[in-house]
Amino acid sequence: MKAKPSNRQINPPAGRNKKDIWYKLDLSATVYPTLQRRDFSSVYRLSVTLKEEIDPSLLQQALDRTLPRFPTYKVAIRKGLFWRYLEPNNRPGPFVQGDIKNPCMPMRFKANNRYLIRIYYYGRRISLEAHHCLGDGTGGMCLLQTLTAVYLGLRGHEITPSGFVVKLDETPDPEELEDAYMRYATAKVKPPRPAEKTYRIRGTKEPFYTLNIVDGVLSVKEVMAVAKRYGATITEYLNAVLLYALLQKQKAEFHLKYKPVRIAMPVNLRRFFPSKTLRNFITMVYPSIDPRLGDYSFEEIVTEVHNYMRYYINVKFLCGDITTNAATKHNFLIRIVPLFLKDLVVRTFYTRVQDKNSSAGLTNMGALQVPQDMKPFIDRFDIYMGQPFSSRTNCAIISFEDILTINFASSIVEADVERYFFRKLVQDGIHVKIESNREGSLP
Amino acid sequence: MSYCVNCGVELEASLRECPLCHTPVINLKEMGKEVPPSPYPENRGQVEEVKRKDLGILLSVVLTATGGTCLLLNLLVFNRSLWSLLVIGICICLFVFTFPLVYYRKMPPSLSLLADGAAVAVYLYMIAYLTPSTTWFWRLGLPIVAIFFLCVEIFVFLLRKIPLSMLSGALCLFVEIPLFCASLELLIRHMLARTLRLSWSAVVLTVCVIIDMALVTILVKKRLRNEVRRRLHF
Repeated sequence: MKAKPSNRQINPPAGRNKKDIWYKLDLSATVYPTLQRRDFSSVYRLSVTLKEEIDPSLLQQALDRTLPRFPTYKVAIRKGLFWRYLEPNNRPGPFVQGDIKNPCMPMRFKANNRYLIRIYYYGRRISLEAHHCLGDGTGGMCLLQTLTAVYLGLRGHEITPSGFVVKLDETPDPEELEDAYMRYATAKVKPPRPAEKTYRIRGTKEPFYTLNIVDGVLSVKEVMAVAKRYGATITEYLNAVLLYALLQKQKAEFHLKYKPVRIAMPVNLRRFFPSKTLRNFITMVYPSIDPRLGDYSFEEIVTEVHNYMRYYINVKFLCGDITTNAATKHNFLIRIVPLFLKDLVVRTFYTRVQDKNSSAGLTNMGALQVPQDMKPFIDRFDIYMGQPFSSRTNCAIISFEDILTINFASSIVEADVERYFFRKLVQDGIHVKIESNREGSLP
Repeated sequence: MSYCVNCGVELEASLRECPLCHTPVINLKEMGKEVPPSPYPENRGQVEEVKRKDLGILLSVVLTATGGTCLLLNLLVFNRSLWSLLVIGICICLFVFTFPLVYYRKMPPSLSLLADGAAVAVYLYMIAYLTPSTTWFWRLGLPIVAIFFLCVEIFVFLLRKIPLSMLSGALCLFVEIPLFCASLELLIRHMLARTLRLSWSAVVLTVCVIIDMALVTILVKKRLRNEVRRRLHF
């Protein structure tokens, strides 16, 4: 796909005062701060488990060295008259801190010295929590892996930068800081988004400050073999299992009429539209099953998901989707509306339409690559989509070498979806190891 | 290692029960062995609250200074009438309006609206105190404020407690508007000692009844409702 060259100046010209630097929020990022509530922030978490205990003071040193290389993460968010924007943050911090039981807590914009990232350590694990307005999982992973590489360097293990690990001494490539959506929103039509009410998980809402986590640790080879048996990829197979779990959950409850079950799945657009951006560059696809059409066997669900993915996840459809999303930012009338009115409209739209558009979220970061000389020090990676906006379950998948981790995060008491999900994997002959922060585990 | 007998999953060594189905873990072979630490820490995090103290202090100082200096000016310089009551009343109103935003964010909206209504009523009484007669306050001002804030309270209550769609919300609004207008007209007529009947508010009532009927039809007819949602979705 040939892209229009970006005509926006992202880096200030040489000699320009550093105080003049600021960044517009990217297309996705404009939505996340709007959804901010007292008990909700769009915060995701990435974790890396090393093979040795973490030294907090070295981790702090590594963070202090790493963060200036990521200018769009060393920022504070500010309000303008029409849009929010990011400005460099030179306040002290962020400071590494001991990990907590309830990750992805709401992130107040004016707290934590206005930083929008948090770094935690616990045992052998380093965790990065970032507000989604800074960037997506790929950008966050770049920061986490570079931080880990610098930390390992301080421990005396030299790591050669490659892949997600960037060189600290080089100036950030302007492409790393760009809003890639605007570069690729080139379709001539704006396909409409699906807007149908879907099945909502019923459950008892947990009190504020609680995020229930259930992690499943699996073997990549085993999952791949089972997925192949169904003629699907790992993502398609796990999507189908989640849809199956949601259908089972809906069946087990009392409903006068069933509703479609739909998953919101972010797609990393960098796979289709070349960009080095560390900011958001994802779009959503919605594989779904409508039980009103009849009972679906698991094999049929897999086929549905497989066909859906083949049909929708391609350059043309994704380009149309980006164009639809970008239209709001191109529209002059929308642009001149004051921010508080935009907030009101976006929040209402999200609460009433977008949030009801899917029953659960699922993201798959895929098989992670790390520099060859970093591999011996890493045990596994974890990813959490964070606190769901409404009471439901979010599922995030990541794999490293032969370890595939499936991380469920939910703010409801019941773990029915997780139970149906993992039981199905066990039925398919996959060995699953469960870890959880739910009550019942020993301190 | 222990497995859940119900789910068939292996359970991490620190788990005392299966987190999926709550079946307790009883593994005789593992008894007496040292339990490894949980992969999750025990301590809970607390969200760092943003301090609004500074804004609160600034606002209190500005309002108190405004009220105080105006009172002094009124008593010492321009002392023909108690005009400073108007400024002090405005300051009290501003303080009450901003109280839930700046000082105490956990204040229930119904209570905050009640306080707002009371503040407006007090301000009106201050104005009435400066005028030759307070009859208009008791017979018109206070009832209008009471009815207005009652309508707002009901609307906010419905919005918060019952998940209203946009159409149902509009329906509530168009039921409340004519009721308020009718009450307003009756109060004015009562004040002026005229016959109690509806004139201009009857027009508002008619328009709102038409809108209400249209909204009820849209809400009842699913096809229409979906059509409106589709056309108006943004």
